[in-house]
Amino acid sequence: MATKVTAPGKKSLQTTLEIGKAIRAYYGGIKEAQKAGKPVIWSYGLVPREIFHAADAPVIYLEHLPLMIGAKQLSGHYIQIAEEEGFSRDVCAFHRCFLGCAVAKERDPYLEKFFAPPNLIIASNLPCMSESKSFLYAADHHDCPYYFLDAPINTWGKDIPEYAIEYFAGQLKGAIDSMEEHGFKVDMDKLKESINLTKKMMGLWNEIDNCRKTVPTPMSTVDGITAAYPLIQLPGTELGVTLFERLLEELKERVEKKQGVIEDEKLRLMWFGVPPFYNMGLFNYVEKYGAVVVKSMVEYIAGGAFDPSVMDPEKPLESLAYKALVDIVNPTYTNMVDFIVKAVEDFKIDGLIGVVKRSCGLLPGYMRLAKDAVYNGSGVPMTIFDLDGLDIREYDDVTSKANLDSFVESLLANKRRQ
Amino acid sequence: MGTLETMKDIFNNPNKIIEEWKKDGKKVVGHRCMYVPEEIIHAAGMLPYPTFGTPEPIKKADSYFQPCACEFVRNLFDLALDKKFGFLDSMVLCNTCDAVRHLYNMWDTYVDSVPCYMVNNPQKMYDESGFKFYRMELEKFKKLMEDLSGNKITDESLKKSIELYDETRRLLKELNDLRKRDIPAISGSEFLRTSMASMLMPKENANPLLRKLIDEVKNREIKNADGPRILLTGSIIDNPTLIELVEDMGGVVVVDDLCTSAKYFWYTTKPNNDPMDAIVRFNLERTLCACAHPSEDRYDYLQGLIREFNIDGIIYFNIKYCHPFVYESAIFRKKLEEEVPTLTLEVDHSLSGLGQLKTRVQAFIEML
Repeated sequence: MATKVTAPGKKSLQTTLEIGKAIRAYYGGIKEAQKAGKPVIWSYGLVPREIFHAADAPVIYLEHLPLMIGAKQLSGHYIQIAEEEGFSRDVCAFHRCFLGCAVAKERDPYLEKFFAPPNLIIASNLPCMSESKSFLYAADHHDCPYYFLDAPINTWGKDIPEYAIEYFAGQLKGAIDSMEEHGFKVDMDKLKESINLTKKMMGLWNEIDNCRKTVPTPMSTVDGITAAYPLIQLPGTELGVTLFERLLEELKERVEKKQGVIEDEKLRLMWFGVPPFYNMGLFNYVEKYGAVVVKSMVEYIAGGAFDPSVMDPEKPLESLAYKALVDIVNPTYTNMVDFIVKAVEDFKIDGLIGVVKRSCGLLPGYMRLAKDAVYNGSGVPMTIFDLDGLDIREYDDVTSKANLDSFVESLLANKRRQ
Repeated sequence: MGTLETMKDIFNNPNKIIEEWKKDGKKVVGHRCMYVPEEIIHAAGMLPYPTFGTPEPIKKADSYFQPCACEFVRNLFDLALDKKFGFLDSMVLCNTCDAVRHLYNMWDTYVDSVPCYMVNNPQKMYDESGFKFYRMELEKFKKLMEDLSGNKITDESLKKSIELYDETRRLLKELNDLRKRDIPAISGSEFLRTSMASMLMPKENANPLLRKLIDEVKNREIKNADGPRILLTGSIIDNPTLIELVEDMGGVVVVDDLCTSAKYFWYTTKPNNDPMDAIVRFNLERTLCACAHPSEDRYDYLQGLIREFNIDGIIYFNIKYCHPFVYESAIFRKKLEEEVPTLTLEVDHSLSGLGQLKTRVQAFIEML
């Protein structure tokens, strides 16, 4: 479904269509699993998912369900329900949307297909510390057990001290104990295998990225955001590896043929902030100028931005702790800023588009830092404007497109001058 | 001048404290949020200085932070950019919310004149592994303070600092207890000024003043005490105007669960031969901030206040975009309302829109 002004994103790759199907199959399976007597977990997308795969646990992720709802333009309805429960518009639209889904007395048929009440909630402050209590409300509503996984803020960059790894690995052990206490069996051998598979997936993701760095780019972020799904939901699984292998193959073929997303690629853009899930067609909108949104920062959330060699199957919890703590959105700015600066150079980006979701306490804080670091580093400009990627009620199509028009036109004018 | 007036004067002119302290070349360490242990700074011979905002409109900080960031944090950053914290030798923040985390990022990048450091604290209380993590962080912090001051922090000096700070907390609590009476001895706005002045002052000066003040007001009764008894909670309030607003509308603010009030003094350290462990446990064996887990603890504490202070109504003052308290008030609202009526208000730290707030507070007080 789309309004007159919004449109779904046009994907150009076969594998990302398959990934889309895998997402729906995964969520459809959760409800079936619960019917068959399996307990269901609700958690956050940055809690190391490998521990759930090691228990073969069906999990609904707080960040993921709302974006599926958002893509169907249903998010506003559920956000409204949460607001009626007393949750202010100031707090994260994803959390409000999920809470709305969690407490709704009636759910539309689309959500009903995927919705399964929780048997255990594993909450965390990773990455959003200020939102870490929203699941308490859901736990209370569904009268279900709750475990809080505390992640230290990363103040160390990439050199995480041993005591921080030890603390977070201990928290993960606590989560596993809580799972075992509530009907899950966590297989530690399977966890080790998961670490191996994650390592493989991250290596493949880096190769996929290398393909995308070529000019013209064989894959835009419209496909990229769907393609990042296995990083979020399927790390440590054979399916995740298979999907990435297929994607890499498809991209290599395109690179060889010099086949770009659009015919005459003039500008390469990067998106910083939450994508407009109810209007992914906005990414395609700039294509009329010969511009492609090559990458989006959110593709790297959930561990897609560092060296996979640190994953050691013999130290599964420590490996997962490291991976989670160096994630670019764990809020000390150095990792995020370093990453953006490097991505702008590697992907030969001409302009950075920063969008501010006003209910987000985390990403808007990086905007000025990223803008200055990128401009001072490589002279690449950044535009910043308001756009709530989930709450369609906040969307202003005219202003969003006018912002994109003027930014792209100025970039093209600069190019012509050069 | 009575001691209440002295406290008011200190609250209104904190620069005098700094001037006095710095006369001998001693250093001042600014901080924000409760997991920065002031005792360690004090034991190094420096003045721990809690940074507060002003109701002034934000000027420069809005070109760094988006307007959807907590206004209190933007206000602090504005003051830093404006060199209003130029007297600080260092600034220390801790891990309480995303806004404070970003304050650290911004300060570290854009404020050259005052170096900024972040103490990493767990958000999960009562967890032995968290105690160990926090201890490691505090050891690093202690070393940093030793290097900054040039003074060695010994167990003995730290124990003395803890005792001094505990005494301030005990005295503030004793003073606060005088508000439990049917007719309190001190009003909410007077108490907030006193509490904040005590936080700002060297404790060596604050403690004798607090003793004197308790003596002076113990037989006092405030005027206009026949209105409903109010518990204030929510985000940081560093300006008595909001409390005065409630008082002007006929409410009697008898206890304030704020960073600038009860949260600062409610607990003291437990006896412990290892002073660093005493600090670790002091901060992590309680859930006083909405940012910390578990929440049940905070709910029990609020319930305790309702009973102890014979509360008729609760007002949550949530600074706009203060996510931890916005969540907490939504999560607690239904349960609290089973005990006493609860009003949740979103306020601007700059106190704009006071007229509208006044109407809502007035309606609430009348309803009570």
